[in-house]
Amino acid sequence: MSFAPYIIVGLILLIIPPFVHADIQLMLAKFLAFAVFAIGYNLVFGYLGLLSLGHGVYFGAGGYTVALLQYHLDIDSFWIAMPLAIVIAALLAAALGPIVLRSTGMYFLLLTFALGELFYSIAWHWPFMNVIGVGGEMGMRGITGIMYPDLNIPGLTLTSTSFYYFIFVGFVICYILLYRITNSPFGHALVGIRESEPRMQALGYNTWRYKYIAFIISAGFSGVGGAMFAWNNTIIDPSHFAVGTSFLPMVMSIIGGSKILFGPVIGALIVIFAEYFASITVRARWPLILGGIFVASVMFARAGIGVYLARLWEKVRVRYGNTKG
Amino acid sequence: MEILRVENLSKSFGGVHAVNDVSFSVEVGERLAVIGPNGAGKTTLFNLINGQLRPTAGRIYFCGQDITKMLTHQRAHAGQGRSFQLTSLFLDLTVFENALLALNGTKPSRYQVLRPITGYEDLMAKAEETLKAAALWEQKDELVKNISYGEQRRLEIALTTVLSDLRLLLLDEPSCGLTGAESADIIEMIRKLGRDITVLLVAHDMDLVFGVAERIMVLHYGEIIADGEPEEIQASPMVKEIYMGSEEDTGSARAS
Ligand SMILES: Nc1ncnc2c1ncn2[C@@H]1O[C@H](COP(=O)(O)OP(=O)(O)OP(=O)(O)O)[C@@H](O)[C@H]1O
Ligand SMILES: [Mg+2]
Repeated sequence: MSFAPYIIVGLILLIIPPFVHADIQLMLAKFLAFAVFAIGYNLVFGYLGLLSLGHGVYFGAGGYTVALLQYHLDIDSFWIAMPLAIVIAALLAAALGPIVLRSTGMYFLLLTFALGELFYSIAWHWPFMNVIGVGGEMGMRGITGIMYPDLNIPGLTLTSTSFYYFIFVGFVICYILLYRITNSPFGHALVGIRESEPRMQALGYNTWRYKYIAFIISAGFSGVGGAMFAWNNTIIDPSHFAVGTSFLPMVMSIIGGSKILFGPVIGALIVIFAEYFASITVRARWPLILGGIFVASVMFARAGIGVYLARLWEKVRVRYGNTKG
Repeated sequence: MEILRVENLSKSFGGVHAVNDVSFSVEVGERLAVIGPNGAGKTTLFNLINGQLRPTAGRIYFCGQDITKMLTHQRAHAGQGRSFQLTSLFLDLTVFENALLALNGTKPSRYQVLRPITGYEDLMAKAEETLKAAALWEQKDELVKNISYGEQRRLEIALTTVLSDLRLLLLDEPSCGLTGAESADIIEMIRKLGRDITVLLVAHDMDLVFGVAERIMVLHYGEIIADGEPEEIQASPMVKEIYMGSEEDTGSARAS
């Protein structure tokens, strides 16, 4: 594949933000946070072939880590918050991996789902994870007033525009890392395990170790996405651990195409944009709209919209005879 | 020198004794065919030797070492290569991708997380060499499910034999479903293997069995009922009755 589409999309994402309303900047940053979450998730879902409904745990862990650091310890340095968000998400995966990775298929789905609900419940009940004064009676839980991180660069305080660019850079780094991971011998082995674990074992691969490492890496990226999301959203609540959050990267991967790296990015774009436009028009209908998009994409673009976009790009390239792209 | 020894090996599934108190040993370089009617326990025996299944009782020694508790991937590193009855290939991946996965399973680079696989020039060269030797280089970018059945079987043998440090090859029905000519290709490929490699194969195809094996073991209801040279086995009335007899009914037995 050529780099031209990357450059075009990258330029659009770079040029537009200063000219749009802060609400749209917020939406674009949310899209990038979810894009990171989704490509991280998809390492386990699309590449390894395990359907997790529990990655909200790692997304929430990332988000809560940066929020709790600010709230309890007054630490808002990016250089502390982000590594810690990654480490905590990865450590959780390292601890939970041996429990969930024993199973596959439906049992894997149910186990990951159950763990997500467990974390939801912990986050709901544990005072440490809730802002004092926003009581249960009002139905409000979690942490509000999360601020942008401090980059510790003298004279630089993030605004909504500069924060967006900051998130953009983070997304690009994550994308490049996952690009490298999926093209490495390790990434190729994951695809082999998706196709047939027993055959991979017979070839000499310690499939358990691959699954475990992939699960941890995937959780690490989910933690990054969660931290980005928390900074952007200013609020994190128990639902971010639960299935309502966990199923978003799955939907994004399926809509965009789970067998290709950029698929979940396309999916995130569609879902977050649609959510934004639903929120300013028919907010209550959002679940219905999301369901509709999902069903339509599964029916009409089985392999994922990203795959069709790639084919379309191929056609454009051939048509205009620019073989270098 | 002995490469494989199986002692009182048993495996039951619920009430079914798929492998029942089986003992035998195999010398380095032997070509041993395991035959027997459907459900005799041949695949189960392979699954025990290669570690897909845990025995209910008994021990397995490989190169003098007790491997009864070893995991499958460790057995691959120890020198066991195996093909599966239906297919050992990744049908939804390309021919080339299959070659890479087969070649890389025992290489240290298999855990590399950040370097592109295409950067491993020795791996790429070896994949090319292997596919060219199997006359499959032209099809390298095809999905395996889209190449012919004969080509799939050829690729399978080529890729099960590339394991680095291969010592014992376990082939479960390598020519199943092939035409005579295609089957001859497979026989040729197995014959070409060096004598440092020991071959155990399960087959219903008598051309393959008699074309390759120097020793035949007959399994029936999980037990070894005969073990000897091809001529002996062919002549044994008991084998004829239990095995060849039933084969004759299906018309695929070799005329003797
Ligand atoms: N995983 C399993 N669970 C339960 N029963 C099994 C299992 N695997 C094999 N069996 C049973 O064990 C017996 C031996 O099966 P096996 O597959 O080893 O036979 P086989 O000799 O390879 O037959 P075929 O020639 O049809 O391949 C059969 O009765 C089979 O039903
Ligand atoms: Mg069998």
